[in-house]
Amino acid sequence: MSSDTPASPRRPDGGRFRILIAKPGLDGHDRGAKYVANVLRDAGFEVIYTGIRRTPEQIVRAALQEDVDAIGISLLSGAHMTLVARLTGLLAEHGADHLPLFVGGVIPESDIPELKALGVCEVYGPGTSARTLVESLTVHLEKHVHERPA
Amino acid sequence: MNVLPDDLIAQARDGGHIGMRAGARLMTLLENDPEKQAEFLRKTGFPSGPRLVLGITGAPGCGKSTLVDALLAAFRSLHPDARIGVIAIDPSSPFTGGAILADRVRMMRHAEDPAIFVRSMASRGHLGGLALGVGGVLSVMAWMGFDIVLIETVGVGQSEVDIVRTADEVAVVLAPGNGDSLQLLKAGLMEIGGLIVVNKADKDGAEALRDGVLAMLELADTTRHREVLLVSATENRGVTELASRFESLGSANSHRRSAETRREKARQLLLQLATRRLEHSLENHPRIREELVRRIEDPSGSWTGLVQDLLAAAATADSIQPSPRKPSHV
Ligand SMILES: Nc1nc2c(ncn2[C@@H]2O[C@H](COP(=O)(O)OP(=O)(O)OP(=O)(O)O)[C@@H](O)[C@H]2O)c(=O)[nH]1
Ligand SMILES: [Mg+2]
Repeated sequence: MSSDTPASPRRPDGGRFRILIAKPGLDGHDRGAKYVANVLRDAGFEVIYTGIRRTPEQIVRAALQEDVDAIGISLLSGAHMTLVARLTGLLAEHGADHLPLFVGGVIPESDIPELKALGVCEVYGPGTSARTLVESLTVHLEKHVHERPA
Repeated sequence: MNVLPDDLIAQARDGGHIGMRAGARLMTLLENDPEKQAEFLRKTGFPSGPRLVLGITGAPGCGKSTLVDALLAAFRSLHPDARIGVIAIDPSSPFTGGAILADRVRMMRHAEDPAIFVRSMASRGHLGGLALGVGGVLSVMAWMGFDIVLIETVGVGQSEVDIVRTADEVAVVLAPGNGDSLQLLKAGLMEIGGLIVVNKADKDGAEALRDGVLAMLELADTTRHREVLLVSATENRGVTELASRFESLGSANSHRRSAETRREKARQLLLQLATRRLEHSLENHPRIREELVRRIEDPSGSWTGLVQDLLAAAATADSIQPSPRKPSHV
């Protein structure tokens, strides 16, 4: 590897960050989710990709078993409020509400404050560049790592 | 030095989501620092089990994950009370060290089954260290009380061979129309498995492939008994039969693993840890790298003793952890 390749962020124990990417909802478009998975892989993250039409229950169980450092969900269906509320509720029930949750997709500007109030860290619109995505995620991960319960 | 939190170790035996979360955290800790395995084994009294460890390997796209999904269903109905773990390994990118671990996609129908636990792992380009990481996950699964563990790994390279050595039985999966499967065949790499599975039996060419494998086995200079099974993972054909053959072949070997004494387990782990430390030092330590370059370029230098000197240098190298800015997979 050439020395000018930017180093990917690491966990304090030297391990790579693991991110779960899921696409809940009934529509079958996972282009956005796959794009994000590739961007993160190229930035040196380990991405656990779970595919389309995942239920909040499936996402939470997968996140726990894989012990991920963050969850990213891609939403297009318009049911984002209900899905996110269900997801954050389940995360709390399973003692995993400390996990940073990211949302990508077409979300009306006016819904963003409410999503954040539900516990979403960041909402990435369709125009988000790979660089912005990685930088923003890294900031949250590094912050989270130091707050995470042992 | 960080130690493994005792409460996590205790919680991991809880059958519910608390145990699931604690076990998963332990797996991460052991994967990121395999030297913690010694501490884990000591604190847990070298957990025995799982009673059956099965390896599934084969070329990319031959249907391993789909087959694991079908096998999970088969084992669940054969053993309704068994808890089953899956370790699914996908390669890390050699350029960025990142990975997309997507085997779960094919196993989602079991995603809400409390008796099934799926853990994805990136190969992380460890020099022979992957087997060490898998061993850690496996011992946590044993501690959590899993009865059967399936390990999916792509390809049949050296690290796969190391991993499948931990398994009681291995199935090498081939598929018609999969050029990589043909390469495996030509290279004689189905050697490592006692079972050869020709998947995608619903597709043209599956029977011809099976016949080809049988012909090749007849020619092969080996006394080892091998079985060739034709299955279709997507149509669930031949899967129950595969599950029971796999289990009886595996069970016949698993007594060897369970008869291993603590001392033997400890010896193997220590050897693996020492090897890993040496390899890391030889690969990553700047002083050793410089020494190596200097010695190679010195025209008058003799290489006799170089290996000896390198080993001595590696043994005294101060750290095995690569510096944070230098990925270990380089
Ligand atoms: N026709 C047919 N297709 C199958 C069968 N089993 C798997 N497939 C398909 O083969 C493709 C690859 O399946 P996977 O299970 O992901 O294969 P894999 O070996 O795990 O792939 P990697 O993990 O990427 O190496 C998918 O499109 C599956 O649907 C089968 O029995 N018949
Ligand atoms: Mg797979």
